Amino acid sequence: MARLTLLAGGRAGAIPGPSPRSEPRPAGLLEDLYRRHAPGVLARCRYLLRDDDAARDATQDVFVRALRAGPELQAAASPTAWLLQVATRHCLNRLRAARAAWRGEFERLARDRRERGIEPDARELVRALLGTSPGEAQEIAVLYFVDDLTQAEIAEATGRSLPTVRKRLREFLAAARAALAEAFPGIALPDPEELP
Amino acid sequence: MTSLGGPGVACSAMRLRRLDAGELAGDERARVEEHLAGCARCQRTAADLARERAEAARLLPFEAFAAGVAERLARTGAPARRPRWRRAVPLALAAGLAAAVAVPLVSRIAEDRGGDRVKGGAGLTVYVRAGDQVRALAPGDPVPPGAALRVAVEPAGRSHAAVALLDADGPAILYAGPARRGILPGAFEWTGEGDGTLVLVLWDRPVDAAALVRRLGQGGAGAASPGRGAEVVVAPLKRRSP
Repeated sequence: MARLTLLAGGRAGAIPGPSPRSEPRPAGLLEDLYRRHAPGVLARCRYLLRDDDAARDATQDVFVRALRAGPELQAAASPTAWLLQVATRHCLNRLRAARAAWRGEFERLARDRRERGIEPDARELVRALLGTSPGEAQEIAVLYFVDDLTQAEIAEATGRSLPTVRKRLREFLAAARAALAEAFPGIALPDPEELP
Repeated sequence: MTSLGGPGVACSAMRLRRLDAGELAGDERARVEEHLAGCARCQRTAADLARERAEAARLLPFEAFAAGVAERLARTGAPARRPRWRRAVPLALAAGLAAAVAVPLVSRIAEDRGGDRVKGGAGLTVYVRAGDQVRALAPGDPVPPGAALRVAVEPAGRSHAAVALLDADGPAILYAGPARRGILPGAFEWTGEGDGTLVLVLWDRPVDAAALVRRLGQGGAGAASPGRGAEVVVAPLKRRSP
């Protein structure tokens, strides 16, 4: 943008001082949030949405939510966990609203394994399995299998009771077991009662 | 055999993310760093986090990110109303979140509000460019239609600032970030209707832009103060009929 030339009191003159382009940029609040958290939030959105443009949009939506919920974010025990949870929920909602083709992805993984012997990456498999389970179980499954939170940590992060978290995890694993029995015979799933 | 993953005895992707974000301290930080040094699984996760940073820099650099966030904030600040500052607010705000430029001020307009102190020297100036002419807007001067505006801030020693425009369409944030003396980056055109008010908030703590929007929306300029010790400078804006 061109610099302004002031005509104050009828006297013309250029603004003294450095030009905007030469001024070093201080780290502001948003830049600090970006540096600390945007890579993780963007990665979460790309993982769930599998579309770079949609992930960019979703990431910006998440940070707008964060800026508007300033005190809530500041009060969070972990801003990282708070932002990733918001990102996860936001993307899952978008996928559900768009009636995501979960089934197609699951079938692709099964075909790759059957025809080419490619074992699916654990995170890819979890993502494909999300479509088999109900809404809240999807979020709990991401926090458990992708973020590696224990059930107690998930309970603290989500405000759900530990029995509820365990129940949702059981729902996810039951749905996953049914889906895997057909497409991935031989894959063993953990016993939910023995999960940390 | 394929496994779905999940937390290990001491392995946690979230813990490594928190370490990366500077959220761990003391014994917890030392424990995680010690574990990371000897754990192949966590080292792979740490390498994934490094790749995420590189991908973010490539796919969503800060400037694009800030512009997108600013555009959304401007759009959602008054969701049921016609957008104003249409042409320049997103870029101005995005830039404003990052930096200000140091230049001397020409004039000041200040008004004490809501019991906040207005220390000597704190103020804001509006510059108007219409055609080839650029001038500082004097108190009571109307803003010509289609004029490009820029705002300069005198923070009087305060460390953080926010500038908002409040008019019939509601509040909109023009800048929130470190308080630096001079003209804020980005010109803008005021495209709404009716008169308005520019509100400068100076504080020694970061000014929460979203909370400021809420306060202005609910209580007007008199509710701009974020808390004890803040300074609020108010400059009325009038329009010149086309």
